[in-house]
Amino acid sequence: MWSRKVKVNSYFWCLFLSVGFSTVAVNYVFEPTTKKKQVSHHLVLRSGTAVLSRVGRSRPIRVLNRLTIVMSDSSHYRPTAAEYRRFDLLAVYPTTEKLFHAACMTYDVDIICISVTEKLPFFFKRAPVNGAIERGVAFEVSYSAAIRDATMRRYTIANAIALVDTCKGKNVIVSSAAEKRLELRGPHDAANLSLLFGLSDADAKEAVSSTCRSVVLHAERRKSAGGIIHTTKTSPEETPPTPDDRTSTANHKHPVWNKTDMIGP
Amino acid sequence: MVRIKSRHLLCEINVTDRNCLLLLDDRAVLAAVKDTVLRMHGDYGAAPLCFLCVFLVKYLNAHTGIVFLRFPKNCYKLLWSALPFITSIESRGHKISCFFNCLHVGGTIRTCQKFLIRYNTQQLHRMLPKCKNEEEKQEIRQAILNCSLLRGKKEAFEEASESEEDEEE
Repeated sequence: MWSRKVKVNSYFWCLFLSVGFSTVAVNYVFEPTTKKKQVSHHLVLRSGTAVLSRVGRSRPIRVLNRLTIVMSDSSHYRPTAAEYRRFDLLAVYPTTEKLFHAACMTYDVDIICISVTEKLPFFFKRAPVNGAIERGVAFEVSYSAAIRDATMRRYTIANAIALVDTCKGKNVIVSSAAEKRLELRGPHDAANLSLLFGLSDADAKEAVSSTCRSVVLHAERRKSAGGIIHTTKTSPEETPPTPDDRTSTANHKHPVWNKTDMIGP
Repeated sequence: MVRIKSRHLLCEINVTDRNCLLLLDDRAVLAAVKDTVLRMHGDYGAAPLCFLCVFLVKYLNAHTGIVFLRFPKNCYKLLWSALPFITSIESRGHKISCFFNCLHVGGTIRTCQKFLIRYNTQQLHRMLPKCKNEEEKQEIRQAILNCSLLRGKKEAFEEASESEEDEEE
């Protein structure tokens, strides 16, 4: 079975179970203003709050915390801020072309959100989009605005088609930014809906399953090592483990990152 | 042999208030789907729905909210892509807020039926830990054992779904 992901702003766990998701990310949208500069502390969910198991699966549903930063200025994103560490996933929502370029090429984030409620303020260019794809950053299109209102539907579809044209269907994730229980859709339906966004059948299926999973792994890597780990073999007995092989780190006397080259951001 | 092929979509209608499910009937669901496809895809999307023999609601269970929709095979994806945009169904004067969750796509009703029986069995398993007394547990266990595909009739999962509906309350 696929590992799927949905982002919501409210907590309806049983619904996710019945609809068929195995991993859920709860999103907090943070818009920095002159007054609010810090993300408040009590928004992060503890992992033990909902121990729910899905029928037919041995693992309980996994709940992740996600932060979305609405950026209208480059000072809004502070990579060294401590509060970012408490969230599992980090996303940015750039509102200008320069910020989009910066987010794709340099910022250490997992997801870049595409605006779906208004006309695109800038065009997508191949260079930053390809740069983001190489780094493993995903582009997110959310569909609940399309479900709510007809005008939003046009903007969503138009913006999503523009994105898919530029990125050729790679590294796109589809999520619901659901605020109510009735705005959630199941994974099959979300995949089918993304056919309207110009994705092919295979890309649509990936957009709700494997790309989401790769984003989660990218986030784990980002949290643990601060960048892309490039391992080199020093000598037979001192061979450092690859990033995927986490179990063996416990056997080493020294931490892994002393022996590897770090290609940080 | 030339045969008209179709796709059967097994959907579950999720509502916030389970009592509203009982108000559903197949004409209301049909009207809701037609209306949404017309809104989303215009005349091009609504045209295949004029095939009265192929676009039908084949089965509707008001207790659990399961519905079988039949679409023509050549354009079912287009019509399916309009289903997530259904936000409410108008039935007998009431407007029921709901959303469609597609569980399975099959070529024949029989495959959908088999899937539904497996799905209902899983739902019953899920309800077993939530039982309050031994009597309910026995009922559910009996229902799970009775889940099987009987020839020609869909008794098995109707029975299971009724006991499920009792448990939900």
